[in-house]
Amino acid sequence: MSSIATTRIQRELKDIKESNNQSIKIELKSDEFNNLRGEIVGPSGTPYQDGMYKLSIKIPETYPFNPPIVSFDTRIWHPNISSVTGAICLDILKDQWAAALTLRTVLLSLQALLSAAEPDDPQDAVVAKQYKDNQKAFVKTARFWAQYYANAPGPRDTDCVEKLRKASEMGFYKDISLQALSTHSWDLENAIQYLTSC
Amino acid sequence: MASYFDEHDCEPTTSVHNSSRRTDLLRMLRLFLRSDVEEYGHILGQFIPDGESLAPPAAKSVVENLPRISLKDLDSKKDAQCPVCLAQFDNDDVIITMPCEHYFHMDCLLPWLQKTNSCPLCRFELVTDDPDYEELKKEKLGQKEREARVADLHSSMFG
Ligand SMILES: [Zn+2]
Ligand SMILES: [Zn+2]
Repeated sequence: MSSIATTRIQRELKDIKESNNQSIKIELKSDEFNNLRGEIVGPSGTPYQDGMYKLSIKIPETYPFNPPIVSFDTRIWHPNISSVTGAICLDILKDQWAAALTLRTVLLSLQALLSAAEPDDPQDAVVAKQYKDNQKAFVKTARFWAQYYANAPGPRDTDCVEKLRKASEMGFYKDISLQALSTHSWDLENAIQYLTSC
Repeated sequence: MASYFDEHDCEPTTSVHNSSRRTDLLRMLRLFLRSDVEEYGHILGQFIPDGESLAPPAAKSVVENLPRISLKDLDSKKDAQCPVCLAQFDNDDVIITMPCEHYFHMDCLLPWLQKTNSCPLCRFELVTDDPDYEELKKEKLGQKEREARVADLHSSMFG
């Protein structure tokens, strides 16, 4: 790894420790400076509130002249993040990257993205469509995913719990059942039909 | 952005001719310009692979003429650090001043300006050597001025 990338990451890690922001975390995965683990807390006033979202951060050899490659390890229901792979659509991680942006600003931008989705520039077309057409189902799904995958607190929606139980009793994996139910805005019949057809 | 390729079941071209590709795309964009910059710019953006839609490099002559200074010329900013490497400036470092009055190590700024034309900190844009890009910038500015004139006219008539 180039020396500028390594020394910059070292300085960034130090700055983050000193900044004492409890809602974002970055740490090394091993001794290598090109592989980091991040964590952000879901912002309050959103369906993701107090969820813990783990991120995988890969630092390219050419950092900071090229952006870090960031994706969600914790599954999340959000128009700009793939509900399947965790890939993120965010301009500063692509053509709006600037060499003075840091991992800290990237993580803060991701928190901002959780507060304000951009459904017209989607990463996950299914989620974005639900966000636009059925806001109620979107909020219900996003919150349930936050509780199910990101340990967000609060009582779980009984309708979601019940339908997920029914689908898994039919022998489908829970993750796949949840994906199907979410995609079909919690219409059990449509979700089962979809599950049996693939 | 990835969804376009997913939905159309095809792979984005990671072309080795990205710069000529971008020029072609810019040419195409100019054809559409008078109808709607934003809309076509957005559609066009989806065809450019990730990270390849950065604006072109800063013009060589402009970069060569950016003032080179040293830390003693910066006496008001004793603790100043370079925003690219995050290290504090040292007495024997060569420092470049951008027109936006942001300071960088020469070795930290030059690789960035060879990639794209804007200040790493505030995105202030330097002129490029890419005639298509410069033309595009002018067209965009012209469009904004036209819109402003229409708005002025509108408010003078109805405001
Ligand atoms: Zn530097
Ligand atoms: Zn600047």
